[in-house]
Amino acid sequence: MNSPDQPVRTEQMEIDASAKWPGLALFGSALFWLLLGGTLQLIAAIQLHTPTFLAECAWFTHGRLTPAAQNALVYGWGINAALGFGLWLMARLSATTLRHGGWLLIAIKFWNTGVALGVLGILGGYSTSFELLEMPRFVTLILLVSYAMMGVWAVTTFSIRNTENVFASQWYLFGAAFWFPWLYAIAQLMLFKAPVRGVLQPVVNAWYVHGLYGLWFVPMALAAAYYFLPKILGKPIANYYLAPLAFWWLVIVTALAGGSRLIGAPVPVWIPTLGTVANFLLVVPVVIIGLNLFGTFSGRYSALAGSVTLRFILLSAIAFIFASVLNLAFSFRGFVEIAQFTLLSELRDWFVLYACFSSAMFGAAYFILPRLTSGAWRFPSLVKLHLGATLVGVALLTVGLGVGGWQQGHLLTTAGVAFGEITQAMTFWFTLRTAGFAVLLFGHLAFVINFMGLLCPLCTCCKKSTADLGQESSAEGHA
Amino acid sequence: MKNGLKLFLGVFAALALSWVGLLLTAHQQIGRLGQFKDPVDEMLHPQPLSGLAVQGSLVYQDLGCVSCHTQQVRRDGFGADLGRKWGQRGSYARDYIRDSVVLIGQSRLGPDLRNAGNLDLHPYADADYFYRLLYAPQSVAPGTNMPAHAFLFEVHALAGRQPSTQAIKVPGKFGPGAGYEVVPTNRAHSLVAYLQSLKDTYDYPVERSRNASAEKPKEGGH
Repeated sequence: MNSPDQPVRTEQMEIDASAKWPGLALFGSALFWLLLGGTLQLIAAIQLHTPTFLAECAWFTHGRLTPAAQNALVYGWGINAALGFGLWLMARLSATTLRHGGWLLIAIKFWNTGVALGVLGILGGYSTSFELLEMPRFVTLILLVSYAMMGVWAVTTFSIRNTENVFASQWYLFGAAFWFPWLYAIAQLMLFKAPVRGVLQPVVNAWYVHGLYGLWFVPMALAAAYYFLPKILGKPIANYYLAPLAFWWLVIVTALAGGSRLIGAPVPVWIPTLGTVANFLLVVPVVIIGLNLFGTFSGRYSALAGSVTLRFILLSAIAFIFASVLNLAFSFRGFVEIAQFTLLSELRDWFVLYACFSSAMFGAAYFILPRLTSGAWRFPSLVKLHLGATLVGVALLTVGLGVGGWQQGHLLTTAGVAFGEITQAMTFWFTLRTAGFAVLLFGHLAFVINFMGLLCPLCTCCKKSTADLGQESSAEGHA
Repeated sequence: MKNGLKLFLGVFAALALSWVGLLLTAHQQIGRLGQFKDPVDEMLHPQPLSGLAVQGSLVYQDLGCVSCHTQQVRRDGFGADLGRKWGQRGSYARDYIRDSVVLIGQSRLGPDLRNAGNLDLHPYADADYFYRLLYAPQSVAPGTNMPAHAFLFEVHALAGRQPSTQAIKVPGKFGPGAGYEVVPTNRAHSLVAYLQSLKDTYDYPVERSRNASAEKPKEGGH
């Protein structure tokens, strides 16, 4: 895979060329949603400490903005970016080109139309209020069909592979490509088409939410880590023979862990108990994946200086471990009693979606996009700005949501403290949360400007300087 | 791993296992939970919501109240829900079969609402209270960060007329001023009817053992 001889290089360039337009369309739309979702998220965050902000208009009331932002980030940014990265990687690892990209472009258009209608529907008052399934029912079919048309590319590309071995990243990509539509279709069926009764609805919802984070976003982040680490460091994954064990263990147990979100809820107690047991069992695959990833890193941290991708991937790998620890913490009754329903439970999901998944996608994008466009990043300072903003934002939000959530939980479990006092005590943390989202949005803006620069046709006039940068960055990749 | 078919079957089995093991099994267990007939007065519990309250639940859904409010009371000994007067007992699965859409929530930026309309717990929570809470939250809950839902109300100039019988009384600095009246829209009416309907007052003899006392004999029983 890493041999720098000429035939392989040409093949890679062919693959990159075949993935160019679908990849750019997916990353382009992903970035649009990243900015829009981030803006909505920021407005919603401001409303927590300044409740009069945009409260006059029903479209921007806090209860609608929050799910609209989350849906834009999950379905707009998350799925688009994951597919942009996933389809390219699947083609690379299967050593075959991405064929009939035109159809893919149509599916991408439909997907984004569906997400746009869904987000507008939420803001316009058609929300279903089920977590991550808030989009009105009329977009379900558009999303499912257009996803099927995109996801099938991962499967067909895999099935016409020209390689003997199937690499770890491919397992995760292949699995995720199947799990998302199944989770989504079953959740839609059991909540809207033929709704189950009573508290089974929250059970289905928890199963879906946990599945979406654990069987779509985490596998995508891991696929990126398993691919880019050996690629950029130029050495194989450490203890690779354990990776299949970790894969199967992780996915089977994660699928069963959804009930852990319902500790203390009015559901049969075996449901949260099963989830708790599953979360404890997750320790083994997380340790193995940690050995795989950090074992590969070990002794090569100096390589971080030369590669932005590697730095984002390191952040993602650390976030994966931290998110797993947090997930485990949410299995202890004493911890849950305090942390449940607070900013800490927001941190749990946000960490998977942002620190773990989104960082991996940023890292992947810095590697992939110049190869798709045969260009180079025009503003290296903006790359640094983006990385810095991500680090600062993640730190601010981890502290804000973590410490703030812990304090909120303590106040909530002290019956003597009036509710208004809790809100007042939380004002500082709400403000810190806003600052965190603002810093992240700032970083995204830097990234988008750089992305535009990459696409800009005026590039020819500054070709000389970019050519130098391009050499440098491609050397990094094929080392 | 080299075999694509094996990979596919494994991927399929992983999700199928959790679907059958978690969702179908739970459905088998409590999917047909019905109303309970009180042996003494022969009333069925939980009682269904009124038509207006059902409409209100749709408003509750579309405004996304669930973003900040839960509707689940944790049992005694797990959190301070009972101490905060969010309920007289922990919630049971049976409480929820009256709701066509069950939103137990995942965030408590605002208080729990499962017993928002329970006058035994909150004697002040009459319709007027909820209207004022929705129109100007600060007027009844000082220090709150709940956003005002003024768009659920209409403000009319009185121009010498009598105010509407439905106009709500908003204290001075929160209202639109003299010469104006604040009238709830139909959406506000139904939402308040829904909030007032939120109460789990009946304690099911068959479920009681699942609640508070479960902690003493063995932990995590049932």
